[in-house]
Amino acid sequence: MSAEPTTIRSLDDPTIMVETPATIYDAIPPYPARTEREAEFYALRDGEMLINLGPQHPSTHGVLRVVLRIDGERVVDLDPVLGYLHRGVEKICENGDWHHAISNCDPLEYIASMFSEAMPVLAAEKLLDLEVPRRADYIRVLCWELNRIASHALFVGWLALDLGGLTPILYGFAERDEIVEMLAALTGQRLLFNYLRIGGVNGDLNHDFMSRLGEWMSRALVRIEEQQKLLNQNEIFIRRTKGLGVVSADIARRTLLSGPVLRATGVPFDVRRAHPYSVYPELEFDIPVRSEGDSYARYLLHYDEIKQSIGIIDQVLAKMPDGPIMAKIPRLLRIPPGRAYVAIESPRGQYSCYGVSDGSDQPFRLRIHDPSFFNLQAVGMMMPGNLVADTMAIMASLDPIMGGVDK
Amino acid sequence: MTVIGRSWSRLTPAGKVLLPLLAVLLALPVLLVVGWATGFLPWLIGLLAQVLGANADIVRFLLAATVLLLFTVPTAFVIIFMEMKLIAFINLRLGPNRQGPWGVLSSTLHGLKVLAKEDFTPTGVDVPVFTLAPVVVYLGAIMTIMVIPFAPGLFGLDMDIGLLYFFAIAGMGVIGLMMAGWSSFNKYSLLGGLRAAAAIISYEIPLTLAVVGVIMLAGTMSLNQIVLQQAGSALDWYAFQQPLAFVIFFIAATAEAGRTPFDLTEADSEIVAGFATEYSGMRFGFFFFAEYVNVFILSALTATLFLGGWNAPFDLAIVLNALSVTVDPTIDPGSLGMGLLWLVLLGPPLVVLLLALPFWMLKSDWSFIKSLVVGFILFNVVVMALIGIWAYMSFPFVAGLFWFLVKTFSLVALFVIMRGTLPRVRIDQLMGFAWKWLIPAALVNIFVTAAAILVIRSGTD
Repeated sequence: MSAEPTTIRSLDDPTIMVETPATIYDAIPPYPARTEREAEFYALRDGEMLINLGPQHPSTHGVLRVVLRIDGERVVDLDPVLGYLHRGVEKICENGDWHHAISNCDPLEYIASMFSEAMPVLAAEKLLDLEVPRRADYIRVLCWELNRIASHALFVGWLALDLGGLTPILYGFAERDEIVEMLAALTGQRLLFNYLRIGGVNGDLNHDFMSRLGEWMSRALVRIEEQQKLLNQNEIFIRRTKGLGVVSADIARRTLLSGPVLRATGVPFDVRRAHPYSVYPELEFDIPVRSEGDSYARYLLHYDEIKQSIGIIDQVLAKMPDGPIMAKIPRLLRIPPGRAYVAIESPRGQYSCYGVSDGSDQPFRLRIHDPSFFNLQAVGMMMPGNLVADTMAIMASLDPIMGGVDK
Repeated sequence: MTVIGRSWSRLTPAGKVLLPLLAVLLALPVLLVVGWATGFLPWLIGLLAQVLGANADIVRFLLAATVLLLFTVPTAFVIIFMEMKLIAFINLRLGPNRQGPWGVLSSTLHGLKVLAKEDFTPTGVDVPVFTLAPVVVYLGAIMTIMVIPFAPGLFGLDMDIGLLYFFAIAGMGVIGLMMAGWSSFNKYSLLGGLRAAAAIISYEIPLTLAVVGVIMLAGTMSLNQIVLQQAGSALDWYAFQQPLAFVIFFIAATAEAGRTPFDLTEADSEIVAGFATEYSGMRFGFFFFAEYVNVFILSALTATLFLGGWNAPFDLAIVLNALSVTVDPTIDPGSLGMGLLWLVLLGPPLVVLLLALPFWMLKSDWSFIKSLVVGFILFNVVVMALIGIWAYMSFPFVAGLFWFLVKTFSLVALFVIMRGTLPRVRIDQLMGFAWKWLIPAALVNIFVTAAAILVIRSGTD
């Protein structure tokens, strides 16, 4: 749209009309361009316009805002605007002690918070050189895999919802709700569990949790197979997602993509196998890989991973040892000075943390590497040239969680 | 005066509607008594009868228009409720279940809520166009209903160019969508309006071309005549003589009504709500109703053109003969004599008791009163069913209406199930499908039909 002035009703006094540049409706920032890139982006050519996707939009994931420069329906360029959910979690963690960091890190990955809350726990254990009881390790793996399934089930629903399918999101939520209720029976929370502890876990497995888990496991595979039938062979769905948002293995490696986005390009990288942690070396599971690198491959990969996770849960339940669930640690925990790097495989990829301790009971620095943030940078490569409708399918197939992106 | 004025301004919009209605309701009995006592009312009724009798055609038209206009709103409510409930079952949810039994009142209450909401005009819109757009869309939807034959003798208007009229008026709706999209001063609306224009204009072509085969077979464009041509059994329906046209027509109708998988005009995950983004209150309600009225009308037209309209799929007399059952629906209560009195007096209580008894005996935790209530409800259902069967066999228009509504609502259910299961197509796929597949297929259908008619007719001559 042009920058001609338009008269609008004054916000201060609704009875009078004031002249306002039309650009305020064009998402153009009211300050002069700060960088060359910004100047280039906001210099619209004839026939182009800017359109806002987010932070308030029915299908943005969290509060991501993407300013699209479109020519008709085709995306020419885009500018992601981050920071609407910035809380300064890393700084907050430095002000509390190591135990507080667990609940502070919980909302980072709010769909699968079992993974983000593990960050300070694992870093502190590595700094302490602490041996975690085997039962606690098995319980952790059980929770991680359950949470991974819950997160993956939602991914499928979101992708379908952004493509206009109303039903899969509710199937996904049905699975997720059972798992979340199950974990609530174990941890007392549905969303932000605050369950892992430095040296173990907060509580032992109880009857409520085990009966819910057994009931769910008895029909999980059948239900997952059933839900796949709705979209796997759907012609419209395949045409919408095949060949969309393709990223090559080389670029994916160089831009630090990880998780299903990376594995869909044919790179069999999974932290559980590449840099084993916890009791994963004792468990048998495959790393599903697809070579196409498009949205459809990512969609199929999520179902494959759900099946692998169900297999892991089966093994964990069979091998679950008896014993304590907490190591003996002092109540006032002073972490020895040093630096530790830990990484785990979250549903979105490599979740890692670099913890620095100065010998006090507070972390000196807790740097958290969130896979959503690195996966999100792929939109710049994937979106231009596609239609507005496809931006949503691409965004959903990258599955960013804004809690971790904005931190 | 100021006291009244202030109280009036404090009322909600719903109150402003309901209060005058209440006043009219109270004044009506008084006026009736006064009018009858003074002899003014009988004179007025006589005059009216005279005037109406002299202009029977105009009166019939106005009456039909009013009835059909009023018919659209409850129909939309029924379809909205059906959609909420059916999609809920597909989604493994319960759906609405709080407003009335099984939530049947939920869509009606939604409609009332929309009516009571603030009528909001955002800054920067083109006010006259913005205000008119919902009216145009709604008019385009409801004017087409005039030519649809519901049952023998039950139609708004029997036009020789009924189909042409239908497509001409149905095309008017897209102007309203464009108006809404353009005037809203919102980019999502603009994209939605342009998508609507592109999609609907593209799909009008296969929609119209698919019908050409039917017109050639029927030899008329009057929808009543097309229905009459399909009389007989289900095998005489044009769906079996024109299967390709039937499929093309249904797909194009889906796009025309803006339903999943072709609901790009209001794709909520892409362009918020499309052309309706800036609308609220009853203006949005008009768009919303128009969509569901469109679904009903296009289903009705599909049923009329391809599924035999109000024709029954089988002849009941033949079926009854085959089963050697004779049913005489004529009722002569006088022949029962004193038996009639016993039937009226003793029949209902006895049947209610009879129906309540099994519940009372089998459900040990039910009280006798509860069983009686269930028995009474069951008795009503049985009586209604019997009356329905009697009406079906006695009056052809009841049978016609029954089959017409069965066919139409089956197609509506198909629309709803499609919405529950399919994702949305992309705009380029939408246009490509219309121009590369549907239009060529419709043209092939026309040529094949024409050749077949030529061969068959020359054979009979």
